[in-house]
Amino acid sequence: MTLPAMLPALPEIFLAVFGMALMMLGVFSPEKRAFKTVCTFSIAALLATLVLVLANPGGRGVAFNGLFIVDGFALYMKVLVLIGSVVTLLMSERFLRHEGMDRFEYPVLIVFATLGMMMMLSANDLIALYLGLELQSLSLYVVAAFQRDSLRSTEAGLKYFVLGALSSGLLLYGCSMIYGYAGTTEFASIARVVSAGALPAGLVIGLVFLITGLAFKVSAVPFHMWTPDVYEGAPTPVTAFFSVAPKIAAIGLFLRVMVGPFDGMIAEWRQVIVFISVLSMVLGAFAAINQTNIKRLMAYSSIGHVGYALMGLAAGGRSGVTAVLVYMTIYLFMNIGTFACILSMRRQGSMVEGIDDFAGLGKTNPKMAMAMLIFMFSLAGIPPLGGFFGKLYVFMAAIQAGLVTLAIIGVVASVVGAFYYLRIVKLMYFDDAAEPFDTPIGKGVGAVLAVTAVITLLFFVGLSPVVEVADAAAASLLQN
Amino acid sequence: MPDSMFLTFVLALPFAGCLVAGFLPANTRNVEAWLAGAVALAGLILAGALYPAVTGGAMIRTEVEWLPALGLNLTLRMDGFAWMFTVLITGIGLLVTLYARYYMSPEDPVTRFFSYLLGFMGSMLGIVLSGNLIQLVFFWELTSIFSFLLIGYWHHSAKARDGARMALTVTASGGLCLLVGVLIVGHIVGSYDLDRVLVSGNQIRSHDLYLPALLLILLGALTKSAQFPFHFWLPQAMAAPTPVSAYLHSATMVKAGVFLLVRLWPAMGGTDAWFWIVGTAGLITFALGAYLAIFQQDLKGVLANSTISHLGLITLLIGLDSPLGIVAAIFHMMNHATFKASLFMAAGIIDHETGTRDIRRLSGLYRLMPITATLAMVAAAAMAGVPLLNGFLSKEMFFAETVAEHVDSILDDALPYVVTLAAMFSVTYSLRFIHGVFFGPPPTDLPRQPPPLPSWMVVPVALLVSACLLVGIFPAATAGPFLDTAVRAVLGSDVPPYSLKVWHGITVPLLMSLAALTGGVLLYRALRGYLSSGAEGSPGLGRLDSQRIFDWSMVFLSWRAAKTGVDLLGTRRLQPQIRLVVGAAFVAALWTLYRHGPHNGLHYGLHAGHAESSAFDPVLALVLVWLAGVWLAGAACAVGAAYQAKYHRLAALILMGGAGLAVCITFAWYSAPDLALTQLLVEIVTTVLILLGLRWLPKRFETIDVENYRVATSWFRRGGDLAIAAAAGLGLSAVAYAVMTRSAPDSISRFFLERAYTEGGGTNVVNVILVDFRGFDTLGEITVLGAVALTVYALLRRFRPAPDSIERPEQQIRESERDDALPDGQSGVALADSLLVPGLIMRLLYPVIMTVAVYLFMRGHDLPGGGFVAGLTMSVAFILQYMAGGTRWVEARLTILPVRWIALGLLFAAFTGIGSWLYGYPFLTSYFRYEDLPLIGTVPLASAVVFDLGVFTLVVGATVLILIALAHQSIRTHRPAKADVPAPIAAPAPALAQAEGQ
Repeated sequence: MTLPAMLPALPEIFLAVFGMALMMLGVFSPEKRAFKTVCTFSIAALLATLVLVLANPGGRGVAFNGLFIVDGFALYMKVLVLIGSVVTLLMSERFLRHEGMDRFEYPVLIVFATLGMMMMLSANDLIALYLGLELQSLSLYVVAAFQRDSLRSTEAGLKYFVLGALSSGLLLYGCSMIYGYAGTTEFASIARVVSAGALPAGLVIGLVFLITGLAFKVSAVPFHMWTPDVYEGAPTPVTAFFSVAPKIAAIGLFLRVMVGPFDGMIAEWRQVIVFISVLSMVLGAFAAINQTNIKRLMAYSSIGHVGYALMGLAAGGRSGVTAVLVYMTIYLFMNIGTFACILSMRRQGSMVEGIDDFAGLGKTNPKMAMAMLIFMFSLAGIPPLGGFFGKLYVFMAAIQAGLVTLAIIGVVASVVGAFYYLRIVKLMYFDDAAEPFDTPIGKGVGAVLAVTAVITLLFFVGLSPVVEVADAAAASLLQN
Repeated sequence: MPDSMFLTFVLALPFAGCLVAGFLPANTRNVEAWLAGAVALAGLILAGALYPAVTGGAMIRTEVEWLPALGLNLTLRMDGFAWMFTVLITGIGLLVTLYARYYMSPEDPVTRFFSYLLGFMGSMLGIVLSGNLIQLVFFWELTSIFSFLLIGYWHHSAKARDGARMALTVTASGGLCLLVGVLIVGHIVGSYDLDRVLVSGNQIRSHDLYLPALLLILLGALTKSAQFPFHFWLPQAMAAPTPVSAYLHSATMVKAGVFLLVRLWPAMGGTDAWFWIVGTAGLITFALGAYLAIFQQDLKGVLANSTISHLGLITLLIGLDSPLGIVAAIFHMMNHATFKASLFMAAGIIDHETGTRDIRRLSGLYRLMPITATLAMVAAAAMAGVPLLNGFLSKEMFFAETVAEHVDSILDDALPYVVTLAAMFSVTYSLRFIHGVFFGPPPTDLPRQPPPLPSWMVVPVALLVSACLLVGIFPAATAGPFLDTAVRAVLGSDVPPYSLKVWHGITVPLLMSLAALTGGVLLYRALRGYLSSGAEGSPGLGRLDSQRIFDWSMVFLSWRAAKTGVDLLGTRRLQPQIRLVVGAAFVAALWTLYRHGPHNGLHYGLHAGHAESSAFDPVLALVLVWLAGVWLAGAACAVGAAYQAKYHRLAALILMGGAGLAVCITFAWYSAPDLALTQLLVEIVTTVLILLGLRWLPKRFETIDVENYRVATSWFRRGGDLAIAAAAGLGLSAVAYAVMTRSAPDSISRFFLERAYTEGGGTNVVNVILVDFRGFDTLGEITVLGAVALTVYALLRRFRPAPDSIERPEQQIRESERDDALPDGQSGVALADSLLVPGLIMRLLYPVIMTVAVYLFMRGHDLPGGGFVAGLTMSVAFILQYMAGGTRWVEARLTILPVRWIALGLLFAAFTGIGSWLYGYPFLTSYFRYEDLPLIGTVPLASAVVFDLGVFTLVVGATVLILIALAHQSIRTHRPAKADVPAPIAAPAPALAQAEGQ
């Protein structure tokens, strides 16, 4: 393995080496400054990785004997994931210091989780897939329980770990079945076996278990139960992170696996995906309604959104993949923005998480309320905000693939979903003002809030280039 | 292209105005009004300038590139029909602005008001000017949002908030349905371009997806136009300021629904489904709205229900599916907009002047405001369909259309009678509006005395009413050409002959009109008593209120259904969650298998492969039977372990060991002695370590709630767990069986087998793989093992066991009690001696086991054994000492420095690898040869042996470190809890010191 042959994996190698260096830096820095230093350097490292990813000349490249692939799709998703991680770190710093959780392991774990996600997105083999997935998951289990003194946080971490390990087991079971019946773990070779016809039943079972594992990672119903508990229990910046970067990475991996090696078996897996998509959309919409905790609500909201993304996957083909990419892009910004709002919900120095705490925000903090209004309308999918276009593309792809019923169920679910998003808007603007939140909210969070709000609001202006790039990425995925 | 530029301006100006207005200071009432008025006026002038370009079926089209990849462009398209709407929107917008300037009180934040109003104007123009269906839906939803903001403008009022929410919920949901409908249409046609869609009528109507598309689009249109059964939101929306009601809920927004129906009629109309759905909805709304309007006590309530009714009339006309019906529908849209807007404004004036809109409190207002009263009366007459007013003309056309034959059915036959009845109702409520408010005794209990009326407030009303009159008297000269332009745009060349004349002679429609007028007057006389009694609501329909149904379903959805769903599918308990994950995965797999069974070209590969059949061998058969027995025992152990896991951890652990043993025997039988050995030792070491750890776990997670403890539930749960465990086990067995009986996929084992000796210098292939072929992996693995040991140590360093574990074990307590019962002087003897014999044996075994470890290590290269196994054996020696003598005893005598062992092991391994660099070979290349040593014999000497030594050292260190971490719990907890334990050893043992010091 010579260096030029590893070049496609340069961003990952860079991040891995830097991550380990960061750990040393943290250990050897004076305890008081360790967190701040490592945090700053982590952000720098992630940004540098982003530059490295963007500097990729494009086109396909493989490394590690074909275990690792870089194509337009991987690059696109990696950019989203890196943005999610950088922004999360930006938002976390202040919060963690306030809550007394400013330990340098946090940024390092986020860096390693991001590394895992990047490897997931570039996986071209079942083993590589698992490697990336576990690196990500193990880091996430720890950050979920990062607030060690809080019972909720530790419970969340433990629950996530136990269920995550279980789902990894299911996934591995599926992988071994696939290996047993396809005789290979390499995606391209699996694709050859699949397209050769006469599918062995074992391959189908293996695929179903693989889907189960992946569905757990994207928190699709019925593998979603951990999501509300973990979202509620984990420290808020971690929840913000959970709701974007790992989700995007897992959806990317899902696409890579289903549209890549198993494209020829679409008849076998489409029903399963349609089923979990419908369940996710419907449950996400209904269960969110009577939540009282905003983080729990966002958990159900994210479950619902995954349902929409899976609708694009069920549609399959280039338009389906493009739809998912566009959906995840806008999802990233509106979700981060929402969490920036949630992170700013402090009264007299301590965090509040009730939905009722938004009451009267329109009067007490009009700017934040306006941003939140934009995010809620966008999450509900109301034009001209970004979320509408995500839904639009997904519905278009589904209808093109003949999944009209699925699209209609999607619409019904988004109507119900709109109900709870608008409830927050109603609380903010129509209800009597509660005590105002603490100000200022901090430069990092404030900047994130402003930027994401503008992007969500004006998404339609830049829609065309985004769609073009997403379309090219989808084409590159289908080429493999 | 000035035309297309003008067109772009028409659309862009209101939005620009919306932004500007939003940023103006709050107290700039006049500037705001001027701005809004100027925008509306500019739109009107531009529309006027564009008129020549749209006459005679011509149109203007302009495209701005937006999403070329998807065929989504910003297409603006103005034909005669759109032109008519543009004029209505901008014209009435202008009048409403003027009116609102005087209507809104100085305290109201008008910045917001005018900004929203302009935004709404832009969105509405966007709908009518869209040349692309997606774009149309986009603006459609935008109108819903602005309408929401405008209705909720006075958000301190609960009614306004509720009304705004309901309007948004209903219309935005309809909009989403419309979106899907439009997407389906686009899918059928292959384009979202309106012109393409309009010429593809036959293609759409004959497509399988026509009905779903139609239903979804109708859901959008009917919700927007407040048609039955979605009519309930409109009266609630009357909580908006009156200019908003006049603009949105009479002239423009609610017209969007019927606009869309007319727009898409060439493409989607002309089928039975269209006739039945649209026609029925229209007819019911027409009659129901008129009926409800009679019984309203709120002036705006009357007008709102009348709007519903008139929109029903238009919908019915469109539903009749005939070109003449379309003509009448378009004509009535124009007329209704003029008279209804003026009526709303008049109602607003009354409210503004008197402070109330309750008909019961109002009367005799003619004396107080003669001009307003006159204008309102004319407009109301137009609404009732009195001759010489515009409402009469379109109503005549409507009657004529209902009399004509359409689809032969009951609906068609009953039509003339039902519409006459409904027309009668509309005469009644119009009469009530006029008579109840303007005539009768002077009002007595008005909330305030009428202030002087700003004369500019009446101007818009007057302008609109004069339009009603002009069109009513000279229809062909005034509205004729515009109507023709609009109709031609929809119907193309085949415009049916129609005549805009006031007098057609004595015809059936005229008779129907007369009947309605007379009947209406009579009905009003009959109902006067009831109406003035002050009852709220309409008789007969009190219970069947769709608003109630809406509220109920909202509550149901938002509370009960949601709660049930969460209760069913969500739980915070971990075990049900695990159960659900496993169960769902299992069901999914089964379901997929079932759906894609053999009939679908799927072949089950679970038969016994193609292993060659060999001759029957009695010995082999016997062994197999024996092995089968072992497996059964192993499986039973596993099941038992799962079954006992929650209730008796010790038993479960021991049973686990049994299952592991079965695996070891299987390995041994299938010619993998090396694996068997390793597995055996791993089993022993892990079991012992877990046993030690078990001691410090709390006995119970929680006490059993005896009162609510139900044996059946518990049995059910355990049974379920058993089933899951069995299913998982069977699944794995099936895979193992299926895979083992098939030829292995191109495996690399042959490569290793062939080269183990020639290149690795060993005949124990597993060991050669570990230390040579995959040496790098092993290096990684032992690093991980070291890290794990350190982690376990770090975690347990500050672990405080649960209180109930601090007690001495039950057995010990019982033993001491028995001791205490013995005669004096013997207390404690029995306990101390209880492990005397086994302890001695264990101590004696110490050197023996060490020798075995060395032996295993040395032979590892060629025969079963190796560093890993030897390391485990070595740690067993240590574990036995800890068990036999206790922590203090061992550490007082032995100095173990596990962390150094770990470090040393890693260094050995790494340096072996680096050593090969010195000779110019890649990392970890091994060198081997055999040496004759005196006394011992021929000994393989490979550089890999040093590597193996590293593995050995590390494994010993890691295991012992974990062991120490566990063992020290006993020291820590017994010290404070028990006074009778011997005092701590004076000098802490070195291992202890080292471990604690880190």
